[in-house]
Amino acid sequence: MSQRFAELGNKLIRDAKRTQNLPDLPSYQSETVRATVREVRDLDRELEHLKAPFAGSFDPSSEPAIACAMLVNHLSMRRNKRCLLAYHRVRSDRLEEMCWKGVDILNSEQGADGRGRGENEAQGGSKSSLSPEEEEYVRQYEDLLAAYKGQWTDIDLTGSLEPPKDLFIDVRVLKNAGEIQTEYGAINLTKNSQFYVRQGDVDRLIQQGYLQRLGWT
Amino acid sequence: MASYTSPTLLLTTAQKIPTTLSLTHPSLSPLNANTPPVPGSKLDLPLWLAEMLAVSKPAGPESEALATVDMPQALGGRVMNALRAGGGSVELRGQAMAWYGLAASMLELFEDEEVATVVCDTFKTRALLISDRAQNTKTAQQQGGDGSDFMGGLDETERARNDPPSPSPPPLPRIPNRHPPNCTPRITTS
Repeated sequence: MSQRFAELGNKLIRDAKRTQNLPDLPSYQSETVRATVREVRDLDRELEHLKAPFAGSFDPSSEPAIACAMLVNHLSMRRNKRCLLAYHRVRSDRLEEMCWKGVDILNSEQGADGRGRGENEAQGGSKSSLSPEEEEYVRQYEDLLAAYKGQWTDIDLTGSLEPPKDLFIDVRVLKNAGEIQTEYGAINLTKNSQFYVRQGDVDRLIQQGYLQRLGWT
Repeated sequence: MASYTSPTLLLTTAQKIPTTLSLTHPSLSPLNANTPPVPGSKLDLPLWLAEMLAVSKPAGPESEALATVDMPQALGGRVMNALRAGGGSVELRGQAMAWYGLAASMLELFEDEEVATVVCDTFKTRALLISDRAQNTKTAQQQGGDGSDFMGGLDETERARNDPPSPSPPPLPRIPNRHPPNCTPRITTS
């Protein structure tokens, strides 16, 4: 049994710290998480093994060496638990923040993989940086958020907090999106074309990533 | 925000300090490269473990604690003397990633007035140097490699404080030269 007394937990924490500084979420470290949980189980088994000869009546003052070993095991388990909680907390906080910003996490995950690795691998959902549990969490959180926003239809709670400087903005089309209807007629969104349009009409499209705002506003 | 799940706090307490175990047990072998540690020998244990062992007295309040800890080298005599001579002269990051965090934890265990004074003075001196460098990055770079050595040697706390939002120039006022709103949108295709 080569326990390393929370070295793996440390690895998770370093990853969590790195995640806080990165703009994108790095991939979920399922191997390290599984190994940490295994380590906790091993430590627990070791603890049971130490306790077994005493059958419930262990006196620390008479066996300080065993008490020391038990304490170290227990502390390591608590430390590993704390590291796991911190890792997951940092990631879920980041996912929630992305939901509030209106980033389409689940679709952009699959889209990003397709763009990065060639069109024929766009189906590779397992290469996404979220674990299946995280994807489920995001799905349910988005539903919750939509239900919350739905109570007030005249304001968009996840919209930008900055007041617009201008009624109209310049946008460039990033992806082909067909035709959209505005007050002034239909606009055909072909890639790389630029438009000068009303901000309210295109806000949603900018959030979804179809359009890119130009200029400094 | 020092919460239970804060990675900064966890990384600070993961730093190693020299500990002397007073007892030994075979299951403590992984701490000592897979051989049972000899009682009285010095090991480098992470702070979270060493701290608890130093305050645990299983045989009652009058007996010995399970381990004793010493000041780590990062807070030892040589570093203290160098800091007394000049707060900006030591690469704190080279001593320990979270040097101030380490110092705070050790001072909770030891109550060493001198070390406390040196740490506070160092903090103040370096804060002045950092803000100076941060606001005058251009001149600092022109003065040569010395500027970047200092900035490379900052510990985690200093780095976090050193993220000043770069003062962006105020946006130029937009002169309205657009068509009035009730025309059709101007479309350009590249």
